[in-house]
Amino acid sequence: MSKAKKVLDEAREIRNPEIDLADKAISSFEETPGLLNMTYITRLTLSHNKIKSVPPALANLTNLEILNLTNNHIEELPLSLSSMPKLRILNLAINRLYNLPRGFGAFPVLEVLDLTYNNLNEKSLPGNFFMMETLRALYLGDNDFEYLPPEVKNLKNLQILVLRENDLIELPRELGELTRLRELHVQGNRLTILPPELGNLDMTSNKSVFRFEGNEWVAPIADQLQLGVGHLMEYLRSEAYRITYNRYSTNKPQVPPPCVDKAKKISRIR
Amino acid sequence: MFSKIDLSPSIPSLGSISQSRLFQRRANSKDDLSEEYRSFQDIDYEFIDKSDLQQHGFSRTVTSTMSLDNMLCARCGDGFEPHEKIVNSTGQLWHQQCFVCAQCFQEFDDGIFYEYDDRKYCERDFQILFAPCCGKCNNFIIGRVIKAMNASWHPECFRCEMCETELADTGFIKNAGRALCHECNAKVKAIGSGKHVCHKCHALIDDKPLKFRGEMYHPYHFNCTNCGVELDYTAREVRSRPGFAANDMNELYCLRCHDKMGIPICGACRRPIEERVVTALGKHWHVEHFVCAKCEKPFFGHRHYEKKGLAYCETHYHQLFGNLCFVCNQVIAGDVFTALNKAWCVHHFACSVCDQKMNQKTKFYECDLKPVCKKCYDKFPTELRRRLKRQHEAMPQRKAATPT
Ligand SMILES: [Zn+2]
Ligand SMILES: [Zn+2]
Ligand SMILES: [Zn+2]
Ligand SMILES: [Zn+2]
Ligand SMILES: [Zn+2]
Ligand SMILES: [Zn+2]
Ligand SMILES: [Zn+2]
Ligand SMILES: [Zn+2]
Repeated sequence: MSKAKKVLDEAREIRNPEIDLADKAISSFEETPGLLNMTYITRLTLSHNKIKSVPPALANLTNLEILNLTNNHIEELPLSLSSMPKLRILNLAINRLYNLPRGFGAFPVLEVLDLTYNNLNEKSLPGNFFMMETLRALYLGDNDFEYLPPEVKNLKNLQILVLRENDLIELPRELGELTRLRELHVQGNRLTILPPELGNLDMTSNKSVFRFEGNEWVAPIADQLQLGVGHLMEYLRSEAYRITYNRYSTNKPQVPPPCVDKAKKISRIR
Repeated sequence: MFSKIDLSPSIPSLGSISQSRLFQRRANSKDDLSEEYRSFQDIDYEFIDKSDLQQHGFSRTVTSTMSLDNMLCARCGDGFEPHEKIVNSTGQLWHQQCFVCAQCFQEFDDGIFYEYDDRKYCERDFQILFAPCCGKCNNFIIGRVIKAMNASWHPECFRCEMCETELADTGFIKNAGRALCHECNAKVKAIGSGKHVCHKCHALIDDKPLKFRGEMYHPYHFNCTNCGVELDYTAREVRSRPGFAANDMNELYCLRCHDKMGIPICGACRRPIEERVVTALGKHWHVEHFVCAKCEKPFFGHRHYEKKGLAYCETHYHQLFGNLCFVCNQVIAGDVFTALNKAWCVHHFACSVCDQKMNQKTKFYECDLKPVCKKCYDKFPTELRRRLKRQHEAMPQRKAATPT
């Protein structure tokens, strides 16, 4: 009997709504007999397996609130996931996604979406991606974004945005409209300037985090960051920076080359 | 006296109106006798008792060419000379000097005379002696005379003292020395009794009235726009053009149909919600009326937090009631784990990769400010671990994670 089957049998016996199948050497849902009939379950954790594809029937688990597929080999997702009525937390970190299905942004109640360490960029996002108004945390670290679409402003409830180690050249001014943002991670990109609107965000309270290291900031920004995030935010709001920013917008600073470090990402294995 | 002509009994005249009519008549020929000289605005022949008619009219002076042997002047009784000018009026003949006003003995201007009690008068004297004066405009009344409220009136001068409608044909009601139309009288009575007058039938509304397009009505004059049932005072007026202030398109529905239409009522202002509806706390709200119980700012679609039937913005909920768990997003009732700029409830403080619970003693790594247990961290791709480590070293020194 496989390890997975044992777990499922035990869970069924006590009607456990939380299924832990992390690190069970599962490469396909065929190795989890009856799982897709356990419609009462609320959490399914399948981290550290070798799952390549997710069957559309997974969406039959209509009571699922947390789906954790971290560190698998997933290359493609079924659109049906987006229709799961109670799914609040979806963790797809460390997989091999180059694309998301069209209409992926239709999740009705999704709050946390973790897409860390995949192969996504601005072109691989479906049109409705930023329509997920209920989203409060979006993890896009270790992907290949050069630009963040301005539609990000539609994520009104976003509190956490992680863009660590992408290829970002610029941040959209619209980021300044995410008034609830209290964690912004942009370290390890190719950023040189910041939109003045970022000064609108409350990044200085003790509940806020702004991570910015590993970019090639222009001197005025680098100088302020030396002094601290509070100084930077004040500077971004100043008339002086508005003028500086306009000058940089017409006469763009040289864009640094992509970070070579990430080239060895295992997510790129095909 | 003038002839008195009573109004037809079908007209409700609680106050009594009587009217008479003075005619000017032409006396040119016998055949012309009944032809009216002045046109009256309102000629009600059926009301006129012709036998009692006062006549006034034209005379015509003719030069007689026929035999005058048997003809005598109607005034002096003498005969006429041949070729004498003779006045012929209403079938009688006069010497020209005898055809004069009975009062001033002057000839009639333009041959117009007024007749009363078989005597003829000039217009001036007739009016002075006999014609009634209008109680309103004080001018003589020729034509239809309205007698009411102990005075005489031109029909167009006898009006409701409140709304100015003419009363000659509709009758009136005496109310505290005033002549009022039925409608105004009912209104005066209603105001006195604290009640409304129906805008349709003008009768007093004894039970609860129905307000419709700004007026009060007996509810039973209306039927439900949807099911046709006769309405009562519980009927609802519905704006058929949302957003329009004008009420002239409004429609009435019975309560049942109204409820079925599902027009929600705002829990704050109690008015129907015609635009976007917010449903929360078991009620419906106007977007701008669904506000934080503490700061009273509308949520406008932002998340709100409920506690004891009240809604709060995140700031004030936290301020008043504490932390939200990062996983369940609920307020943490018992022990709180705080780390990595976040908080967790006892049930949800777990590794973000394998979802295994952690406690105060569990050592964990940090990845993008999420907790990762050692086992999971060791399974991360080597190159990722290397980069994360480098990131960490590059970062300014941070406070250590402190589950409490
Ligand atoms: Zn008058
Ligand atoms: Zn009136
Ligand atoms: Zn009525
Ligand atoms: Zn009805
Ligand atoms: Zn309201
Ligand atoms: Zn508030
Ligand atoms: Zn929790
Ligand atoms: Zn773990």
